[in-house]
Amino acid sequence: MNREILKYPFYLIVHPFNGYWDLKYEHSKKLNLILSFVIMALLIMTNVLSSQYSGFLVNIYNPEYFNSLLEITYVVVPIIFWCIANWSLTTLMDGEGRFVEIFTSTCFALIPLIIINFPWIWLSNVISIQETAFYYFCNSAAVIWSMYLLFIGNMTVHQFSPTKTIATILLTIVAIAFMAFLCLLFFSLLQQMISFITVVYQEIAMRN
Amino acid sequence: MFKGKPKARVCILAALCCFIVLSAGGTLIHAADGAASYNYSYWSRSVASPAAYEATTLLDGANLGVGAFNNPSDLHVTPDNEIYVLDSGNNRIVVLDQQFNKTAVIDSFDHEGKAYSFLNPQGIYVTEQKHLIIADTGNKRVVHLDQNHSLVKIVEKPVSDLLQANYVFQPVRVVMDKAQRIYVMALGIFDGFMEFNTDGAFTSFIGANKVQVDPVELFWKRFSTKAQRSQMIMFTPTEFTNMDMNDEGFIFATNGDLWGDSIKKLNAQGNDILRRTGYFNPKGDVRYTSDIGPSRLVDIDVTDSEIYSVLDSKRGRIFTYNGDGHFMYVFGGMGNQLGEFNTPTAIERVGDDFLVLDKAFGEITVFRTTEYGRTLNEAVRSYFRGEEEKAYKLYDQTVNRNANLDFAYSGIGKALFRQGEYKESMQYFKQSFEQNHYSKAFLLYRKQVLREHFGLIMTIIIVIVASSLLIRGYRKMKGRKKVVTFE
Repeated sequence: MNREILKYPFYLIVHPFNGYWDLKYEHSKKLNLILSFVIMALLIMTNVLSSQYSGFLVNIYNPEYFNSLLEITYVVVPIIFWCIANWSLTTLMDGEGRFVEIFTSTCFALIPLIIINFPWIWLSNVISIQETAFYYFCNSAAVIWSMYLLFIGNMTVHQFSPTKTIATILLTIVAIAFMAFLCLLFFSLLQQMISFITVVYQEIAMRN
Repeated sequence: MFKGKPKARVCILAALCCFIVLSAGGTLIHAADGAASYNYSYWSRSVASPAAYEATTLLDGANLGVGAFNNPSDLHVTPDNEIYVLDSGNNRIVVLDQQFNKTAVIDSFDHEGKAYSFLNPQGIYVTEQKHLIIADTGNKRVVHLDQNHSLVKIVEKPVSDLLQANYVFQPVRVVMDKAQRIYVMALGIFDGFMEFNTDGAFTSFIGANKVQVDPVELFWKRFSTKAQRSQMIMFTPTEFTNMDMNDEGFIFATNGDLWGDSIKKLNAQGNDILRRTGYFNPKGDVRYTSDIGPSRLVDIDVTDSEIYSVLDSKRGRIFTYNGDGHFMYVFGGMGNQLGEFNTPTAIERVGDDFLVLDKAFGEITVFRTTEYGRTLNEAVRSYFRGEEEKAYKLYDQTVNRNANLDFAYSGIGKALFRQGEYKESMQYFKQSFEQNHYSKAFLLYRKQVLREHFGLIMTIIIVIVASSLLIRGYRKMKGRKKVVTFE
């Protein structure tokens, strides 16, 4: 049983249609969720390690601006935005997917980013500048593979036709833009309010 | 506020003391790194740097014994360190020797028995044979005198189809190459420099700047009528602001481009061949406040080993770059103290010292190298000459004085690379963010390691392959046995 759980994500990324079907109809939601969180954690780890340990030829980073916590947000925030935007749209567009299914299918689509990029962290330390072409090729291959999986996953989870999936994905991107704008607005207003209150408090405190 | 219990009061006091101590420490550290100069790191951040040059002397017409300068506009120094000051307002040229003693004053030349004088000349160039080329702007001509200051030729307004009939020839800067061709930078000319042949006949324009188009302006032009368009700003290439010629005959020029390449090295065809392999393109200040804007380069001086310096008239700073385009050092500034200027217009090198001419004050400031500046200059020179050993030592000293000078590490790395110490050189290339050199050193290092440990590596591979084959065979046998037992 345990072995099958480990094998399942690898099966999914090479057989996405069957894999996502199983994800939606066969596997337990709890197991999928656990696996999704593990995948997310692994991706965060890969990104952090990659920005710290990738070879000098592919990665010049400024240690002054290096922040592991930010790397976490770079992974978590886009996933959450994507899931919320996709879920809000597909509920209106007769999608069959539930939020959990959207979340798990999205996380499973990120596996190529881990299994391709993780070995390259170490490999990139032993390549010359001419060989970096392979590095960039593999990186883009991973991204394309992930996008393909995301597409199939979305299609299967919602039981959409391919054209409708493409349309929802495009609309999802627009929705993400809206959400980002609203978040910015919200946080900047919140910041202003907090600073106003602190200034008022300071005024009162200093008066004595 | 301090009405709480005594204990709390003590706590607050202690915290306050800590805070004061901390802040005092902070200011102390800040005062210590208030460096004399700055440099730009790989990340285009300004970082502290020791001063490479220091202002030592101020020369003006009075203490040179020639009477006050009146709006002097150009300087030239010959390779044997003779200094020519073009005193435009007084229509004369003052010649000084290396110790700043007056040797001659040229205010006229003879032509067909008559003495002619200059009128508001703006530019001067002196060749290796001590021939003088003077842009006699007010008289709309270029005057070529020989070493005895007698006339060789006069270049008047050129006759050409390329020029409008009502064009007024106003030369402001001149240079002459070894083939005695004169290059003139003239006012109102947007097509580059005017090239005149040995006889003083106009041949062509070279090195026109590219047209900079403002997108907003272009957008409005699309929607305007012809009459409106004729009233709008024309898109013309930026004018050059100055030029100099190096010992190989390449013209180094500065222009007033705000965003493009404001420093150019032109070959005989007028193509820009300046090497821009530094961390950022040479253009003066990289970081600047938006109210003053980017540097406006008004003079360039090129010396041996492809080292060149440019003068920023906005902030009065002199930036020096090496042939690879790496930023070496900066000095100068605006103000009233020694080493600061009001209207800097020209720079020249006398050996390794700098002369900066201030037009409004009519003064020349002399800058001499500090020990740091000398080491850095020599390091760049010896690297340019291919003296790796010496360059290594000098760069090492430079880095000891200024750890922020990122490109110096690559100098050390290159020397180590030549000596075959690939692993160490990789470290230095990494510190100076030189990916190409790092890669070269790495390839050789990788080869070295693989060769050294070839036996070990092959053994490990063979052992792994053999053992995996054995394990597979063993499993198969076991599986077969199982099948047998099942039957």
